Amino acid sequence: MKKINLAKISQILFFILFLFLFVRTEYRGSDEISLAINSFFRANPLVVVSYFLANFSLNWLLLPGIIMIFATALLGRFFCGWICPLGTTIDLATKYIKKGKPLSFLKTNLKYYLLILLLFTTLFRINITGLFEPIAIFVRFLTFSFFPFFGEAVRSIWVGMYEIIGDKREVFSLIYNFLKSNILPFRETFYPFAFFSLFIFGLIIFLERFEKRNWCKNLCPLGTLLSVLSKFSLFNRIPMKLCNDCGECRHICPTTFDKEIFQNQDCILCIDCVLKCKYDRAKFIFTLKSNSVVNVSKRKIIFTGLLGGYFLSKMDLFYKNNNRLLRPPGVVDENDFLKKCVRCGECIKICLKNALYPATLEYGLANLYTPVLIPRKGYCEYNCTLCGQVCPTNAIPKLPPEIKKRSIIGIAVFDKNHCLPYAKKVNCMVCEEHCPVPKKAIRFDIKKETNIEGKEIVLKKPYVVDELCIGCGICEYVCPLTSKPGIEVYKVKEPLGSNSYGYNGDIKIS
Amino acid sequence: MKRREFLKILGTSLTYHAFKVNDVIASNKSVVSLAEGKDYEKITKDAISALGGMKKFVKPGNIVVIKPNIGWDRTPEQAANTHPLVVKALAEECLKAGAKKVKIFDRTCNDPRRCYETSGFNAVFKNMKNVELKHIEFERFKKIKLDGVFLKEWELYDEALSADVFINVPVAKHHGLTTLTLALKNVMGIMGGNRGYIHRNIGTGLSDINAGVKSHLVVIDATRILLDHGPQGGDLKDVKVLNRVVASTDIVAADAFVTTFFGKKPEDIEITLEAYKRRLGEIKLSNIQVLKS
Repeated sequence: MKKINLAKISQILFFILFLFLFVRTEYRGSDEISLAINSFFRANPLVVVSYFLANFSLNWLLLPGIIMIFATALLGRFFCGWICPLGTTIDLATKYIKKGKPLSFLKTNLKYYLLILLLFTTLFRINITGLFEPIAIFVRFLTFSFFPFFGEAVRSIWVGMYEIIGDKREVFSLIYNFLKSNILPFRETFYPFAFFSLFIFGLIIFLERFEKRNWCKNLCPLGTLLSVLSKFSLFNRIPMKLCNDCGECRHICPTTFDKEIFQNQDCILCIDCVLKCKYDRAKFIFTLKSNSVVNVSKRKIIFTGLLGGYFLSKMDLFYKNNNRLLRPPGVVDENDFLKKCVRCGECIKICLKNALYPATLEYGLANLYTPVLIPRKGYCEYNCTLCGQVCPTNAIPKLPPEIKKRSIIGIAVFDKNHCLPYAKKVNCMVCEEHCPVPKKAIRFDIKKETNIEGKEIVLKKPYVVDELCIGCGICEYVCPLTSKPGIEVYKVKEPLGSNSYGYNGDIKIS
Repeated sequence: MKRREFLKILGTSLTYHAFKVNDVIASNKSVVSLAEGKDYEKITKDAISALGGMKKFVKPGNIVVIKPNIGWDRTPEQAANTHPLVVKALAEECLKAGAKKVKIFDRTCNDPRRCYETSGFNAVFKNMKNVELKHIEFERFKKIKLDGVFLKEWELYDEALSADVFINVPVAKHHGLTTLTLALKNVMGIMGGNRGYIHRNIGTGLSDINAGVKSHLVVIDATRILLDHGPQGGDLKDVKVLNRVVASTDIVAADAFVTTFFGKKPEDIEITLEAYKRRLGEIKLSNIQVLKS
């Protein structure tokens, strides 16, 4: 009788769920996003632990992850073999990749040092674990590399059809519209780090040239954390060594049997050994682990962690005052944000007007991949609260629309050397037209002036009402100047007033 | 030259401006129809039938484009977008007159998905047969020679240009730069490119566009109008409910007439005045015949 591989089925189901949630992480006509890919981060022990170390507090959003920690302590690293979508992708790819010799430098305790370094850095209040967190790596690859290019390819076909057969393409509109409204991004946005994200993902797949599940067992900080958590797990494989008369497990097992001793804490419960055992000896039962062979000296841990973590957390104080580092709405405290952000890129994916971009090196290493609003590329839509809804750690708070509309992203400033009414003495007012604040944060004075040709004209000269401006950036976005915009949004260093979401709500300006 | 002749020429020159060519040509009065009532679908249909019914404009088999203002992520009550029921009534009339297809679209200012949703258009047109509520597809903008005074050429939307009938359906509202935005400005919704550029000479620019793209029928939604903080408003205090719909084939006359709803003179609106000077229609209220229904 052929045994059913439950692990494989689970992997495929979770993989489909993952892709489904990924596609769902997009505005599809509803103000509320009920399901989003943030579930995979909320149920993620590494996110929970790093969040806790950085904030010394927890968040109800992370409850699934806390449950996961206990489940892992009891059952072992089942996440890696049953759920992890990156693991599933690796399993799918590894079949087609010839194996060479394992890389010796990965066979050291490198993964422990990596994890320790990341966790200690969070202790110093900079949470950079997201850079190495496997689900985040996968989501970033999909968001920044795969999806935009996929969308662009499909769209190019559609546009190409129009150029060749014109309106006859409407024959295919049913298919195209289905794809467009259910799967494809509404507009293709190209992100910085598109190729870098692809490169990192490719590198993880490339590691399969050396051994099976190379990333998972030798580098992945989430996997390493899970293996530490499962040190005393009670659901284990027996026999806990290779059988003398067979030893096939050594080839079958993807993670655990690469050294002479059975490394129990690396077992991902993929149950390949159970299914392939000729003698029906391999089983999973509730029992204590027999051995655990992690050998990292405490001195080294503390040395690496403290020193490395300290320096990593201080690496770019220089960039801290970047006045164009605009954060999504509701983010009030930059330091608090950096403690919580997992850099998963979900807010960037869902951003309605594609205003959010992953921070590149110009914002400093500590901000790498964190969301930055770039008004010239897109603006924050007044009535939209999606980024706060998908953020798995509440780094971007989930705000009710009425509060979101008053939360300050930055403040718009006119550059009178560029702004048309000032610099060229011609009327413009596109910014004022688009300002979404009902009482208008951009207003104008009406002045009679002599223009460049010597004609007397009525000139409307705009100005910003600081007390009303929320820094959504639509003014900068729509400014018709093609070179430098005549109005730009800058970060507010210290929002005035005591209202944590800004100060403009209660001031009455006629 | 005799003295008498000289005086004649002098006199004619002197009075020439008073008797502008427009006045001489405009022997027929421009017609504007006005319908009032709380049932927006009904008053829209009334305004059209006062002009002679949709059959006058739409022939069987025609492709009709209705261009409302769906530019903003605002609800119908906030008066920033055309009321969907006005557009619905028009679409139904077009189909009744035998139109093969009715296409509705606008190049929005806010996110198009949100605009179509919040404005109520998605809900109203979801299940209407032969009516397409479409998003703008940027490959469809084509450079068109306008040979205007300000705009020599501009990218315009091909589906609007190729339609047999183009119906222009703005909502009447306040606008910071132009004081009011009405039908003449509503055609900005079929402009591609960096359309904010034309703000620096908006009266001339819009005349150039409107001279190139004829609105076969203009229906202005004044069911509720936005008095201040336009064109997107957001505060219900700025909204005034009028329960009126105005229709005309003369785009300038329609704009001029609706301007009076705001207590303003048509000649004070730069866009309308410029269009009148370019002979795109009638601005003088005395030359506009209002049909009430």
